[in-house]
Amino acid sequence: MSGITHPLHRFIRPSVSSTTNCPGCGNGIIAQSILRAVDQLGMDLEDFVFVSGIGCAAWIPSPFFNADVLHSLHGRPIAYALGIKMGLPEKKVMVVSGDGDLAAIGGNHLIHNARRNVEMIVICVNNRIYGMTGGQAGPTTPPGVMTTTTPYGSFENPFDISCLVISAGASFVARWTTVQARELTRSIIKAIQKKGFAFIEVFSQCPVQYGRKSGLNGSVQMMEDFRQRSIRVKKAAGLTEAELNNKIVVGELVDIEKPEMMEEIERMKAKARERAQ
Amino acid sequence: MSNLRLYPDLCKGVEGCGICLAVCRSRVFKPGLMLNQKGFHLPEIVKPESCTSCEDCMIFCPDLAIAVSNKFGKR
Amino acid sequence: MGNEACAEGALAAGCEFAAGYPITPATEIANRLAVRLPQMDGVFLQMEDEISAMAVIIGASWTGKKVMTVTSGPGISLMSENIGFAVGVETPCVIVNVQRGAPTTGMPTVGVQGDVVQAKHGSQGDYQIIALCPSSPQEMFDYTITAFNYAEKYRTPVFILTDAFVGHMREEVVIPEAEAIERVFRKIPAPRTDPCTIKGFLDEDIAPMPIFGRGFKAHVTSSCHDETGKRNLIDLSSLDKFVRKLSNKILKHKEEITLVKRNYEGAEVVLVSYGPVARAAEAGARLSREAGLPAGTLRLITIWPFPDHEVEKMAKIAKKVIVLENNLGQLYPYIKSAAAPFAEVSFFPPRLIGQIQDPENIVRMIQEVLR
Repeated sequence: MSGITHPLHRFIRPSVSSTTNCPGCGNGIIAQSILRAVDQLGMDLEDFVFVSGIGCAAWIPSPFFNADVLHSLHGRPIAYALGIKMGLPEKKVMVVSGDGDLAAIGGNHLIHNARRNVEMIVICVNNRIYGMTGGQAGPTTPPGVMTTTTPYGSFENPFDISCLVISAGASFVARWTTVQARELTRSIIKAIQKKGFAFIEVFSQCPVQYGRKSGLNGSVQMMEDFRQRSIRVKKAAGLTEAELNNKIVVGELVDIEKPEMMEEIERMKAKARERAQ
Repeated sequence: MSNLRLYPDLCKGVEGCGICLAVCRSRVFKPGLMLNQKGFHLPEIVKPESCTSCEDCMIFCPDLAIAVSNKFGKR
Repeated sequence: MGNEACAEGALAAGCEFAAGYPITPATEIANRLAVRLPQMDGVFLQMEDEISAMAVIIGASWTGKKVMTVTSGPGISLMSENIGFAVGVETPCVIVNVQRGAPTTGMPTVGVQGDVVQAKHGSQGDYQIIALCPSSPQEMFDYTITAFNYAEKYRTPVFILTDAFVGHMREEVVIPEAEAIERVFRKIPAPRTDPCTIKGFLDEDIAPMPIFGRGFKAHVTSSCHDETGKRNLIDLSSLDKFVRKLSNKILKHKEEITLVKRNYEGAEVVLVSYGPVARAAEAGARLSREAGLPAGTLRLITIWPFPDHEVEKMAKIAKKVIVLENNLGQLYPYIKSAAAPFAEVSFFPPRLIGQIQDPENIVRMIQEVLR
């Protein structure tokens, strides 16, 4: 028993003893995946600024991570993140928030900053429901699910958030579930090093709200469901849309080079200084 | 001498969570009878000798409540 | 132009980053900042909407930058949630509202003083704000600098409440040498302070701001929090402290913050006004005095925190108080509340909302009131 310490406990804020997540919540697995990426890169949390919105996923960095953390308004973390990047261009700015926060109320900031391809990392924890407020339907809730605001079953088409972000112009997009925690860490490492808007969608289990409302019994069963429905990008490429129905395509979906906003701003400033002379 | 360490006060219990039990391929854990401070049932390490240090329990624990000593001596 | 002077004032104050969204009649400020900021290694970003314009400047302020956003009434409505956020986590920033005909889309090219109460109460909850009302292009320059200094000193959003008249007015503006301009910067913790000991919030004498990127490991949350930034969603004593400390931080320093122009010695009738209406009030009072009427003026430059002490002081001397505003009476109830125990208070709107009161009509009003 002597001398074994959890390698990631050193990243936790001293005043915080444990998380407020429900038992079995996927948030903690994602928190570890992020911290493991920082650890494996040999980086320090001082190299980062974290921003989160409102919702359970937003409590991943706040107050847990022993770093500069901005826990802000619902839907807006990406906008603050842009401001922080403007002022601290050398720091890695990472947004960790949920599907409702980033794709519903925050949708506009998500697509515009993907369009700008501004250098930042955005981790979207997709639990397919509004968990913190007691289980309401969100923009990723599959049709037919009975939630507190869709008591007769959800009647809307859901987003494929990764596709949305790819269309908007992000240069790095990946999708995983909490079952692929190691692969997630590898993608986070790439995202941290990416000179552009790096977006990672992570399907995460919400056993208390989404699990109960969709008939999945508990965290372990939800993770097993993710495992069975996950299919790697390469394999999915050979399948028809019908065959892909109800599957979760996981892997790195896009990784391209394109102009990044911070670089473009530097070029613009140089032009301004030249003309001023 | 186990290469596993459980942080009892961080664990949220085998009924609500139980992920460590599910991911361990060597059946090291079983639902325990001991309660932690918060009233959660802790997992019990019943077969420490079977542990292969795959680290799955550590990686998938949402509460960072399990640590596995690194077989390559990194820590 | 007034708007251009405002932009220059921001630059003179040390503004390094600004954001906004096109909106009449404020766009000229954005245009000028877009040209001038990059020349000084700063940036102006046109954001996707006013909500993100306010959000992005809050983010930049937390990295230590002096920041500003410019908009009009509809934009302030969109920004209101974020303004409350800036108040709650004590973020220095300057917000310029070039007011226009309202409510709703209204009349974009006409100046009105319709967003006065909104500046104070636009966001939810009990809180204080600082708002300055310039009356001329020179004051657009001067008071924008004051706004930045107040924002830094008191760690709060500060409004410049102007309107289409002053924004588009053209007058001579004198820009002093850079060395002659006072620039305040926020207090921050000493380098290498132990993060666990930092108390970066809820100090009535303004806590040092644990800006990002310096190793302070700041936890900045919009939730109710304590002096260390730690969230508390349970204890009423924590909420009580959160509300009161934030409010008292401004109220405690109300007298230092208050700026007024008093010109009511020997007056029996005092005209109280702010912004461009004050120019008409001054002209009206002068014409009245020339006609032998004992008139004077009290011009409020800071309207928030409400300078009730100045209004009371004036009302004790005056017999009659006339409030002039280019609206249906937004500051009037506050002025009346402070002055009514000592003087008779009435309200004089323009003949048409969107106009400024005619000085000759003001003289007639004074004559009537003295009868």
